[in-house]
Amino acid sequence: MTSVESIRDAVREAGATGRGLRVSGAGTWLDAGRPVAAHAPISTCTLRGIVEYEPGDLTLTARAGTTLAEIAETTAAERQWLALDPAGSPSGTIGATVATASAGPLSHAFGLPRDVVLGVEVVTGDGQLVRGGGRVVKNVAGFDLARLFVGSWGTLGVITEVTVRLRALPDVDETVTLPAAALAAVGRAPVLPIALELITGPLAARLGLGADPLLLVRLAGNAESVATQRRALGDDVRAVPGDVWSALRAAEPAGAPVWRASTRPTLFDSLWGVLPPDAVAHATPRRGVVRCLGVDPSVMLALRDHATIIGERLPADAWRALGAGPAADPLSVGIRKRFDPVSLLNPGILG
Amino acid sequence: MAHTRRTETTAAPAPAFVRAVTAIVGERGVRARPTDLVVYESDGLPGYHKVPALAVFPSTRDEVIALVRLMAREGVAFVARGSGTGLSGGALADGVVLLGLNRLTRILEVDAANRRAIVEPGVVNAWLTRAAAQHGLHYAPDPSSQAACTIGGNVAENAGGPHCLKYGVTLNHVISVTVVLPNGEVVTLGNRDGEDDGYDLRGAFIGSEGCFGVALDVTVALTPNPPAVRTILADFLSLEDAARVTSAIVAAGILPAALEMMDGPTIRAVEASVYAAGYPVDADAVLLAELDGLEAGIAADVEVVARLCREYGARTVRVATDPAERARLWQGRKKAFGAMGRLGSHLVVQDAVVPRTALARVLGEIRAIGLRHGVTVCNVFHAGDGNLHPNLPYDGTDPDMVRRVELAMREIMACCIAAGGTISGEHGVGLDKMRYMDQIFSADSLAAQCAVRSVFDPEHRSNPGKVVPVRSCREWGPRASR
Repeated sequence: MTSVESIRDAVREAGATGRGLRVSGAGTWLDAGRPVAAHAPISTCTLRGIVEYEPGDLTLTARAGTTLAEIAETTAAERQWLALDPAGSPSGTIGATVATASAGPLSHAFGLPRDVVLGVEVVTGDGQLVRGGGRVVKNVAGFDLARLFVGSWGTLGVITEVTVRLRALPDVDETVTLPAAALAAVGRAPVLPIALELITGPLAARLGLGADPLLLVRLAGNAESVATQRRALGDDVRAVPGDVWSALRAAEPAGAPVWRASTRPTLFDSLWGVLPPDAVAHATPRRGVVRCLGVDPSVMLALRDHATIIGERLPADAWRALGAGPAADPLSVGIRKRFDPVSLLNPGILG
Repeated sequence: MAHTRRTETTAAPAPAFVRAVTAIVGERGVRARPTDLVVYESDGLPGYHKVPALAVFPSTRDEVIALVRLMAREGVAFVARGSGTGLSGGALADGVVLLGLNRLTRILEVDAANRRAIVEPGVVNAWLTRAAAQHGLHYAPDPSSQAACTIGGNVAENAGGPHCLKYGVTLNHVISVTVVLPNGEVVTLGNRDGEDDGYDLRGAFIGSEGCFGVALDVTVALTPNPPAVRTILADFLSLEDAARVTSAIVAAGILPAALEMMDGPTIRAVEASVYAAGYPVDADAVLLAELDGLEAGIAADVEVVARLCREYGARTVRVATDPAERARLWQGRKKAFGAMGRLGSHLVVQDAVVPRTALARVLGEIRAIGLRHGVTVCNVFHAGDGNLHPNLPYDGTDPDMVRRVELAMREIMACCIAAGGTISGEHGVGLDKMRYMDQIFSADSLAAQCAVRSVFDPEHRSNPGKVVPVRSCREWGPRASR
């Protein structure tokens, strides 16, 4: 699919026959989400390229199949970046990142895809080309369709183009570690990290950082600000190479169950505390989110009553045990019906 | 902006309906006399006069629910309203029921440890920040009307404010909303206790201008007060130079908490008023930049901003550190709309957004448009966001002037759209901007917006006739291929 028209034709054709479509980007994460019963794939990975990038506006419009790596490279040349660091490889696409609302440790300071996306263009399930939002950083013109498409896992439309807000790259960007027990103290210290991520001992070992649970603190700003913040963190800080973040994004073993549990920040300890000692997991405490890589789904099911559970990749029986998906309420059902009346797109992925 | 006062009397609501409403809210919660209802005929935007058939003021959440259910049963249309400070005609009830929410004023919870608060929709924006202050927190969206506007109204309009450049708009600060849908059903959108999953219905509701239902309570995020704040004021002899420096500051890697601009006519209106802030009256522009964050390193960033201002032609650059001095520099900006009251009996506060790099050019075009039509344009705006507020003071009793203002406004909007911008950054579409909607959205995109509205409100009884023109609401569904 190299053009929006070809995507629209494919969706209309599928609509005529009623055959479901498996929507994807680079196809690096096809085992995520509930099982999909689709007849044919439809990928945006060849719908590539940056459509508009004006550095002075700190906004960028790219076709859906543009990889995060390409966006990073283009913006870095202007000392800017897209502050989204979802799990996976840099060959993932912006379209899929937005469709799945995927975010990583930078969400601690910079928010989620819903906070970063300014506009989208989609081909809806009934084959219409629809735009939500726009290309400017502030926009309240009309009802906010863009928010609905972010995180809809392709079930309302195939995202063909995305406009995002960028940020300037900081002069200095340093990552240090502290013992995990320092979490509360860091919360009181005069520091404003751009990421603050806890990792379990087994995950630290996998990243070559020893065997104890650790706090990863990412400090950014001008030289004086970063140096002062590092001093404020005390004598236990250890510098680590900045590529620890890309290693963390790639840490999940292929095929392993991956799921997240979340709660309000003050109850975070109760989630973190119940993980088994051998758990490979990381967490964004400020958001109250724990992400488990390869931890048995029985642990997840036991947490169901105290936490919000979101599966990423699970065996079919674990999905069944989780019950109805997140789009089963009447409003969500109504919205799906309006945009994809015969459930052509990723049928079943949200339940 | 028709300036046609409704002379025909609105059909009086059925006595049985009024009795049913009164049974829910009591006599004190009902206004039915024309002389009482005329109070609600306008919002903050002059030119529109729409009188409600009945105004109802519930005091509790249960009363709101009971009223909405009554209206669902009776098929009655309604418009929810907070303080009525809106600037798009969005809260006007044209012969339908006005549902005033400004008696639901309780702050239900301030949860400092989780940095959030739960409030009723009638809580005034500034009260919330006041309540959070003892915990070193604040509510970040700060529209200029924050001393009067309500959180419910802010949610409806997805309100912004000067500090949303760094901190984001209402959308980025609402965790969940409990809503009574037009059919009377109560639903919670968003998740108070963890991550969101599924469709972002909360995101769709925010900015839906009262068309998707009525907020009963809103859970908002509170933001820690920054330990260090610096306010920088620079004045320029050229508005275009001041506009260019905004892009230069942001390109230099500095994200100010706020980056605001006022043009010459605004400066002179402010300085002639009781809100005089000491801005140089011969300047063509003043730029207000606020930097905040940690104490460490802020001086270096202030130095970069000051240097860039001088490089781009600033005559003087003042830096204020202590709160009193900072408040003085801000005073003129915050009171600019009030000061414009000196310039005409009526004032249109316009709202449009252009890409930041197009600011200088668009401001030049706006100036030319004003001159061409012989109308005064005062620009006071969020330069960092490219969010323009061209304000046009005029005499609403002078038909020729009204016509010229109307023409100038249309040209200004066309110019912003042509620059790749949009027709509203924070005021909403309401009644006033509907005419521009098909200039920025295709028929299919408008129909899709309408379709979402129909999911929340199939009968279009909640704020009818607003945001998306009715002609765009064709039946949404599969069409024959090509």
